[in-house]
Amino acid sequence: MDFKSQIKNYIIDNFLYGQNDDALGDDVSFLESGIIDSTGVLELVSYIQDACKIVVTDDELIPDNFDSVNKLATFIIKKQAMKSKEHIDASETTVLPS
Amino acid sequence: MLPKQRFSLPKELLMLHTFLSQRARTKPDALAIIQGQRRVPYGDLERNVSRIASFLLRNNMKKGDRIGILSKNSPEYIAAYIGTQQAGGISVDINFQDSVHEIKTIVNHCSISTLIVENSYITAVADAVRETPSVTMVIGIERRSTGASAVRDKFPSRIWYTAMSDIVSHEDGKCVSSEVTGADIASIVYTSGTTGRPKGVMLSHENFLSNAGSITEYLRLTERDKVMVVLPFCYSYGKSLLTTHLMVGGTLVLENSFMYPNIVFDKMVEEGVTGFAGVPSTFAIMLNRSNIRKYRFPELRYVTQAGGAMSPQHARELSMLLPDAQIFIMYGQTEATARLTYLPPEELLRRPGSIGRPIPGVEIEVVQEKGLPAGDGQEGEIVAQGKNIMAGYWNDPEETKKVLKEGRLYTGDIGRKDKDGYLYIVGRRSDMIKSGAHRISPKEIEEVILEMNDVHEVSVVGIPDEILGEAIRAVIVLKEGFEPDEKKVQRHCQTKLASFKMPKEVVFADELPKTSSGKVRRYLLKDLNQVSETAR
Repeated sequence: MDFKSQIKNYIIDNFLYGQNDDALGDDVSFLESGIIDSTGVLELVSYIQDACKIVVTDDELIPDNFDSVNKLATFIIKKQAMKSKEHIDASETTVLPS
Repeated sequence: MLPKQRFSLPKELLMLHTFLSQRARTKPDALAIIQGQRRVPYGDLERNVSRIASFLLRNNMKKGDRIGILSKNSPEYIAAYIGTQQAGGISVDINFQDSVHEIKTIVNHCSISTLIVENSYITAVADAVRETPSVTMVIGIERRSTGASAVRDKFPSRIWYTAMSDIVSHEDGKCVSSEVTGADIASIVYTSGTTGRPKGVMLSHENFLSNAGSITEYLRLTERDKVMVVLPFCYSYGKSLLTTHLMVGGTLVLENSFMYPNIVFDKMVEEGVTGFAGVPSTFAIMLNRSNIRKYRFPELRYVTQAGGAMSPQHARELSMLLPDAQIFIMYGQTEATARLTYLPPEELLRRPGSIGRPIPGVEIEVVQEKGLPAGDGQEGEIVAQGKNIMAGYWNDPEETKKVLKEGRLYTGDIGRKDKDGYLYIVGRRSDMIKSGAHRISPKEIEEVILEMNDVHEVSVVGIPDEILGEAIRAVIVLKEGFEPDEKKVQRHCQTKLASFKMPKEVVFADELPKTSSGKVRRYLLKDLNQVSETAR
């Protein structure tokens, strides 16, 4: 299962109690729809940090990154790409012992 | 015995709309409301209020009729709320998080005749009004033009639908009522009752204005104040921000959520906000999951917290983060309009956990079982009197009698005073759960869960939660032959209860621990080890 479906399932399971009823479209705003509230978004942050192995900084907790399934998916792809790049850069600059 | 009074307002200034008219006359261009890009001056707000009042009167609204309002905070909400009161009606707040079932219960309980509804909630309301015969008119607050006829078709033919935008564009505002007095009921605010049945707190114009006058006095509010409002107006705390700031001619900056705190902080800086109000969970999020440490709020001069005492740790952190702002911890109840006590900022670090002393115009006593005053440090029930105490519960003399005795409000909160008269809350007389800033009746949730065919018995308790203070746990004993299904229980609750009343945890047990007389030992259910001994 891709992480977009994984996130969607998590939201349906924890905030809609397993019942989607098409309420959760990929572009539906969590804020506007009231699906997630201010404490719910903190649970969501914890979940994606664990599930996607990324670290969300306080600066990144903004609607552009978090306010729909699609925005969240884009944000995670970006974070994971940054993480891989940092990993590659780190290995390229490592000076091997002669 | 009548309560002794110290704080009083002139008779002609006992209604919010009179303050509004005065301000609109003297400073029509001063800003009353900011929301997103919208900026509403006092002159425009007063015009819309008068037009709504005039429309209601022209359409046969009688003095004392109940007008329900179901909307998030917005300039339209404020116009509807004050317009209803100016016309002599009683505004009834319906929480936008309420389920269809809860909306029906409130509408029928106080026989609402007109509902003013933000369009996002029109479908829920259209569903609810099929079983609420008292409703004859619905006024829609449209954020986007959806076409009145499409919305009208959602309602039964006995209900007339119109849009608020049409009212404020076409009504002339000339039909006025001169009969409203300070003693008239201005609003009914529903709270969770210990019986599981919601209770409608009746508040008069004088209740609101005397409480707002006291708050204004200790916060030293003036027309230069701009408060950031993230708390919903449908609760007494949010409503007190509205009343106090319009009373002094200040500005309300509306943000309908604290879900993204950084957005709120940006707005506070941009608008030069001078005040911020929150409940304990607001400050827990602010301190633990926001980038507040990167912000400077040069204009911020006060911060208030109600809905629970502030932990010493949070008090220290907040004082360090906002060294130029005064931090006020406050305590109150809807039955007291909003506020009963406040802790002066200079006492915050000296008296950790205290909710302070009575606000101007309120007297408080800690009373022991037989009605005797408790001594310093002794525990007892907090009893209050003042002009802010409600007139009673709507249509519920029995419940009213339990809390209003000789003009004094028995709060149900157990507290103690230190030798200098500062109050501390130590618990509740009832089993009410305090989650976020909500007082939630376990009974109400238990009744909903008991509707399920699978459930033999259930008990609901509050359990410690880092952000909310308490989260809700339901412990269920199933009937023979049924399988535990947590999600099924939560889905059932979701159809009947507001989101903040949802059990976060559902635990299944073989039996509930009880006393010899059969009463459930709720305190044992708070500890999962005690529950798991019997869990399936």
